[in-house]
Amino acid sequence: MTPEHDIPADLIRSSRFRAEREENWKKLDELVSRAEKSGVQSLGYGNTMALASLYRQAMSSLSLARAISMDKALETYLAALCARAYLVVYAPQESIRGVTSRFLSRRIPQAVRRSWFPILLGFFMMIFGAVVAHILYRQDPSWFFTFVPGGLADGRTPEASVDYLRSTLFDDSDQNHENLAVFSTFLFSHNTQIAILIFALGVFAALPSFVLTFYNGLVLGAFVTMFADAGLGFEAFGWLSIHGVTEISAIAIACGGGARLGLAVLEPGSCSRSEALYRAGRDAVTLIILAGLMLIAAAMIEGFLRQLVQDTIWRLIVGWGIGALWLAWFLLGGREDLPDGLNADKESAGT
Amino acid sequence: MSNKTLSIHPPEGVPISFALASIGARFGGQLIDILLTYVGLILFFWLMIFTGIWDWSFLAALFFLLSFLVRTPYYIFSELVWNGRTLGKRITKTRVISADGKRLSAYQIVVRNLMKEVEVFMPIVVLFGGDLIGSESKAFMTFWMIAVLCVPLFSKRNQRLGDMIAGTLVVDQPATVLLPDLAVQNPSDRVDFTFTPEQLGIYGRFELQTLEQILREPPHTQEATDRLDAVARTIAEKIGFEGQVSPADHWDFLSDFYRQQREFLESRHLFGDTRENKFHAGKSENPAAKARPISDHRP
Repeated sequence: MTPEHDIPADLIRSSRFRAEREENWKKLDELVSRAEKSGVQSLGYGNTMALASLYRQAMSSLSLARAISMDKALETYLAALCARAYLVVYAPQESIRGVTSRFLSRRIPQAVRRSWFPILLGFFMMIFGAVVAHILYRQDPSWFFTFVPGGLADGRTPEASVDYLRSTLFDDSDQNHENLAVFSTFLFSHNTQIAILIFALGVFAALPSFVLTFYNGLVLGAFVTMFADAGLGFEAFGWLSIHGVTEISAIAIACGGGARLGLAVLEPGSCSRSEALYRAGRDAVTLIILAGLMLIAAAMIEGFLRQLVQDTIWRLIVGWGIGALWLAWFLLGGREDLPDGLNADKESAGT
Repeated sequence: MSNKTLSIHPPEGVPISFALASIGARFGGQLIDILLTYVGLILFFWLMIFTGIWDWSFLAALFFLLSFLVRTPYYIFSELVWNGRTLGKRITKTRVISADGKRLSAYQIVVRNLMKEVEVFMPIVVLFGGDLIGSESKAFMTFWMIAVLCVPLFSKRNQRLGDMIAGTLVVDQPATVLLPDLAVQNPSDRVDFTFTPEQLGIYGRFELQTLEQILREPPHTQEATDRLDAVARTIAEKIGFEGQVSPADHWDFLSDFYRQQREFLESRHLFGDTRENKFHAGKSENPAAKARPISDHRP
């Protein structure tokens, strides 16, 4: 604070108040500008400590100024200064590593367990779609063209020869590793876009999520039935299993996350709709991020492992083995040290 | 321009207010972000192909990866690193804050930007993308896009869907300008005007702060000087100021009046007699106000 003798004696009360504190406000203003420009890290230890205490001083000045001063300019300035300093002091500052590890070890498994019903519903819609496609295909194979877009079929149609179909399941000759990388990156970005869409559409009363999942089931069912009719059912199942267990689970989980949002809109319970959306949002977002992670894994498997593992038995073992690992993580993860976990949830529910 | 302001309560307990960003600023920020990311992407690949450092298959993988990254991940990452600001928001001087007064969490940033996928990108891709989609669907998507774009217009706090789910707001970056204190007298050898308590008892806070605005800009044009003279004459007449004020002294007259008026009003305010405007006298005529003397303390 400025020494007393700097301030003229005949000032009115509120001017004296301002003159005594102005220097600190300017210091705070300067620190805040620096932090806005190049981050709080650039301030150094001493300045960061000063920032915190100057911020509290400015806050109390603002409160006092509102009580005693009728200087409009002063109040406007202090309000803006406090707002800027507030944004710097309360910047998101969780450490990336801490967030990640807490997220992986607790939040994801807990969110999956809390949302088991919508996720199961997602799986059900997918299977339902597959069964419907299977029955329709058995009645009339031309349904295939209705369900599967031409680009996706890539020559694998009911008219294709068994040999050609077999070659699409087991091709290893002309792929080099660079192409595998291209392929898996493409798969990842494409599938993730779909998952995000399924998720984000869920907010419109959950129905679009289920419809889209159902449609994915239709495509799946049509494909599998076509291969089965060509006598390649078991091989196709293995081909699909190695990445599909992960990929289809990811789609169902994204659907479950979207459905959580939709259910919050449909049935907000005792709070308002936007409040309910906000609450459901936490788990829903955790689920979509999980779906993203699983899709990265699925794309890796589809791009690399499936080309490298050509034996159907091994494909089944790898695919379902990875599926069992996912399940173990969701069921067993985040159960230990419950009090801490509860705290984290309380804290996050308030955020 | 919308001038909606919103008061939030930080943990320190002193409410501070933010001006909500206008719809135009938000739309502009989004447009700048899209242009910057996609133009950057195209330029980068044009350069890569032109120089031919990498072969096609690597470039293809890079292209798929980057065109994914410039969508949702770019916004999440930049808002995390720059504390609620993307490049577009930095340019339009807006930022994201948490509506509940606490710090913006990583979770909120992720949510509001994931919803961007349906609110912004999906309609764009459908409208301008390939021929996969029939004309009815295009008509539907146009309707959809208009509906989604209208959500912030009808939302009380200009929130889009993603903001509602995440509990965030987009506000203008506050600007801090400290204007000089008008009540601090510059030492000069001029005639001081002094006013009696009766003369100072006429106006209230509103008139004081209007006078403050007038005194912020010394008159430079003839028109402004005329206006200042009119103000000084009106005040002198209203408060019944005795003695002559020459036109040359009008500025000093108003400055002195401002200073003494403020001192008077602030001290009345401290004694619990807050005078919001010049109608305060009429208000205090009601029996309840009269029954309680000014110096009386509240129980």
